[in-house]
Amino acid sequence: MSSESPTDRASRRTRILSNHLTTSDLQVGGNSLQSNICLSYSPPELHEKIEFEVRKMRELLDVHNLQDRDWLFGLMMQSKLFNPQEKGGKVFVMPDFNHTKEQQREMTMKRIEYLLERGVFDGWLTTRGPETEMRKFAFMETLGIFDQSLAIKIGVHFFLWGGAIQFFGTKRHHDKWLRDTETYRIKGCFAMTELGHGSNVRGIETVATYDPKTDEFVITTPCESAQKYWIGGAANHATHTVVFSQLNINGRNQGVHAFIVQLRDFDGNICPNIRIADCGHKIGLNGVDNGRIWFDNVRIPRENLLNSVADVTPDGQYKSAIQDPDQVIFSCCRFAAFLAPLTSGRVTISLSAIYSAQIGLAIAIRYALSRRAFSFVPNEPEVLLLDYPSHQRRLLPLVAKTYAMTCAGNYLKKMYVKRTPESNKTIHVVSSGFKAVLTWHNMRTLQECREACGGQGLKTENQVGHLKGEYDVQSTFEGDNNVLMQQVSKALLGEFIAAKKKNKPFKGLGLEYMNEPWPVIPSQLTSDILRSSNFQITTLRLRERDLLNRFAAEMSQHQSSGVNKEYAFALGYQLAEDLGRAFSDRIIFETFLNDEGTVSTGPMKDVVGKLRSLYALTCMEEDAAFLRYGYLSTEKAAAVRAEVAKLCSELRPHALGLVSSFGVPGAFLSPIAFNWIDSNAWSSSSA
Amino acid sequence: MASQNSVMAYNDQVLVEEKSLTRILVLNRPKQLNALSYPMISRLLDLFVAYEADPNVKLIILKGNGRAFCAGGDVAAVVHDIRKANWKSGAQFFTKEFTLNYVIATYTKPQVSILNGIVMGGGNGVSMHGRFRVATETSVFAMPETALGLFPDIGASYFLSRLPGFFGEYVGLTGARLDGAEMLACGLATHFVPATKLSLLEEALYKVDSSDSNIISAIIDCYSQQPYLKDQSAYKRLDVIDRCFSRKTVEDILSALERESMGKADDWINNTIQSLKKASPTSLKISLRSIREGRIQGVGQCLTREFRMVCHFMEGKLSKDFFEGCRAILLDKDRNPKWEPARLELISEGMVEQFFSRMDDEEWDDLKLPSRSNFVLPRHAIAKL
Repeated sequence: MSSESPTDRASRRTRILSNHLTTSDLQVGGNSLQSNICLSYSPPELHEKIEFEVRKMRELLDVHNLQDRDWLFGLMMQSKLFNPQEKGGKVFVMPDFNHTKEQQREMTMKRIEYLLERGVFDGWLTTRGPETEMRKFAFMETLGIFDQSLAIKIGVHFFLWGGAIQFFGTKRHHDKWLRDTETYRIKGCFAMTELGHGSNVRGIETVATYDPKTDEFVITTPCESAQKYWIGGAANHATHTVVFSQLNINGRNQGVHAFIVQLRDFDGNICPNIRIADCGHKIGLNGVDNGRIWFDNVRIPRENLLNSVADVTPDGQYKSAIQDPDQVIFSCCRFAAFLAPLTSGRVTISLSAIYSAQIGLAIAIRYALSRRAFSFVPNEPEVLLLDYPSHQRRLLPLVAKTYAMTCAGNYLKKMYVKRTPESNKTIHVVSSGFKAVLTWHNMRTLQECREACGGQGLKTENQVGHLKGEYDVQSTFEGDNNVLMQQVSKALLGEFIAAKKKNKPFKGLGLEYMNEPWPVIPSQLTSDILRSSNFQITTLRLRERDLLNRFAAEMSQHQSSGVNKEYAFALGYQLAEDLGRAFSDRIIFETFLNDEGTVSTGPMKDVVGKLRSLYALTCMEEDAAFLRYGYLSTEKAAAVRAEVAKLCSELRPHALGLVSSFGVPGAFLSPIAFNWIDSNAWSSSSA
Repeated sequence: MASQNSVMAYNDQVLVEEKSLTRILVLNRPKQLNALSYPMISRLLDLFVAYEADPNVKLIILKGNGRAFCAGGDVAAVVHDIRKANWKSGAQFFTKEFTLNYVIATYTKPQVSILNGIVMGGGNGVSMHGRFRVATETSVFAMPETALGLFPDIGASYFLSRLPGFFGEYVGLTGARLDGAEMLACGLATHFVPATKLSLLEEALYKVDSSDSNIISAIIDCYSQQPYLKDQSAYKRLDVIDRCFSRKTVEDILSALERESMGKADDWINNTIQSLKKASPTSLKISLRSIREGRIQGVGQCLTREFRMVCHFMEGKLSKDFFEGCRAILLDKDRNPKWEPARLELISEGMVEQFFSRMDDEEWDDLKLPSRSNFVLPRHAIAKL
């Protein structure tokens, strides 16, 4: 239904009429009546068949809180705050990226207030348990589909600030801050990163000194490199922050601790002894007000120390279960208290990356199902982009990967909400690997989708190009992807050494297969073998196992030649990063295979099976390690490649169904995903 | 087997007038307020299909004989069929009706529906999906299904969910009646023409020799006027409607309304609360979810989903509220239905979910919509897919 007012409509029609008396917007009665000299938009819904039930496929991907997601989609679509625009007869919602960064930030905040009022955040911090956490994840994913800035601004407030209070704080902090955070009476941010230190939190330079005379801590930024940097929410809106700082008591450094500091009063004025500057315009995420903070001997009450692991008594006694200052936050608690908020961050980032890839692919594939270029035979109609095998090869393996990684993301989410002290290490390793692989996959997918949409991909309204800027940061924040990959390999090496030294079987991280004899890859790779999950898992495990052995050998070689352990790791970066990927690919495959097993026999299972094969074979085709170390001979690698092309052509007829199952509503895609001729018509531009 | 009666009904209950390149279809069951019978739906479908292929037809006008446009589908007859045979014979009605709704929604030629008098339920299915909907000062719109133990069907989850804000939830859940001015304001009607000018409008439309919707629209514009939206109109309460009907669940909507009504005597809010309390709790929950899903689905998906839902109601395994509602409102007319379950909190998400699943019956298939791939659809139809 048109949102135009009747008067607008009337005057527009009159104008159109005078221009178009000779033309008709209808070609009645099918294409036999008149020859089309002009292209007309032919909606893929009319000529593509969907052979499986989209609702079921969406359930396989979205899994949980589907009604909650749809409700939230609707909340956004039905409010003017989400900038609805009619293009080609359809309404799209998307932030106005032509706004200045100040305007974008204000709109983000207004949207948060609207969502708050409608009850979206009810219980986010005041109720606990797996159900609440899954609902929060579903909402974060849905919000990110509208705008990454919106999701991040909310994520900083609830997961970083709120999470820090929950995990590092004790009852007195929970009672004082959580409810006010949930209702946005206060707005929180998370001041960890400094200009001089990002991933290496131990090196931060901000200092908190205890003053027993006044029962206060004094927080100081001692030098320019200690300014807090990239602090989301700090530039405009945050009233409070949790500050990470070295704790100095009687001249002794007790290591990094977290403190609550008020930044602004309730009228928005910056508090005394605090200086805040803007991080400026960015390549994306301009709806998030990233700021820089300096503390000029800011005094805060002793109670503002988040004291779940260590406390300071009024007379200045330092009390902690752990003696070594360096260990307070980084040792036994490394995988528990301290990193818990960051782990949830990595889970959220992984999932939002995958939803972004879904948006990109849904747009690029829908466009490729309606846009034609060149013909195979002169004077014949031009060919749909997706009917070119090369176009299939560009996009469909990315669809298969996105399916596999969606399942992987769901596995990670489930593991996270069911976390126990024993599973924390696995969560840390898996979330590190997934965060890197999924965010890289998204960036690569968006670039391919941008190119696959040609010039149309360059228009901000068409999303695919613009999203690259919005999502690029994901490979950096909450742990640089390369560093994370090396951490994964470090953890795997730890398992390897432990098993070899103690002569005990591998247990955990899915490495149990390493207790079995080395596998043999069949000498002849027929299509049936290539498509068997047995061959696929065996080959992916072979790569991981061999890389781990090689990595262990290289480390021990370096160390036996006198290189220290940390430097040996730095030297072994090549194998470390290959191994991190091999580990992640293998788990992703296993989760996908597992989910395939839940699908009952029928057309949907057939399609999921093909996707799983395409995922596995694409992994083999893309990583040179399979050839470099001879897991596949050149002949076998060629067979893999041929099968990839074959699978692409078999999945081509399912393309529309596959991207429809992502469950991203049309309003959150873009004009080129629908009637791009009409949305570009003169009458649309002059209306 | 077509009996003598049904052949007569087929011919008499929809009258056809031919004027140049315009076809006027008149719903002709005035005593029943033109409630859609199976023969009427069959006839309409046949006519729409035939006109689409006929180059001598450029425009279709749909109107009602007498004081109503159409009071809805003839559900009393459907219930009768089900009692006589089985639920599948009742469901046939909906197969035909929803197919007609889909053809209308994706029609290649403009349809002008003259919504003079009552337009409810199934009457909306044959008009709202068309290109032009002309309201008058006598128009009375409603989707009253929740009071009948059903849900707004006929593709209503498509068009209600696309009304401004959360007006669609309000209209669909409460069954609120709208007048012509309100229909225009919210977009259910595309034009408002005073009843006295309808014959002039029709005559002007008889002369049309084009299917160009811009031309048709401009003609209707000549007879249109801007009606007065009454002060107590629900549409002027859109802010309250948005605040309350945007809530996640029916229970949340009710408590939001109750919060709004606290400390003030507001008839409109109290009536709204009362309509919700009178409606079938099962219907309310299913209707809300249907509208929410409809908002992110195309019209074809909406109709196939609603078809599943309606089949569950006809089968009566998951809920008998539809039969109870028909008994209380249409047959016994005691207006005192005994809903089962009787309270919202007794209906779990899992129970709601079942209405959206495929029928557990090997001999029963989902709705198969007719292929429209041989037609070049106009832009407004493409946008609905």
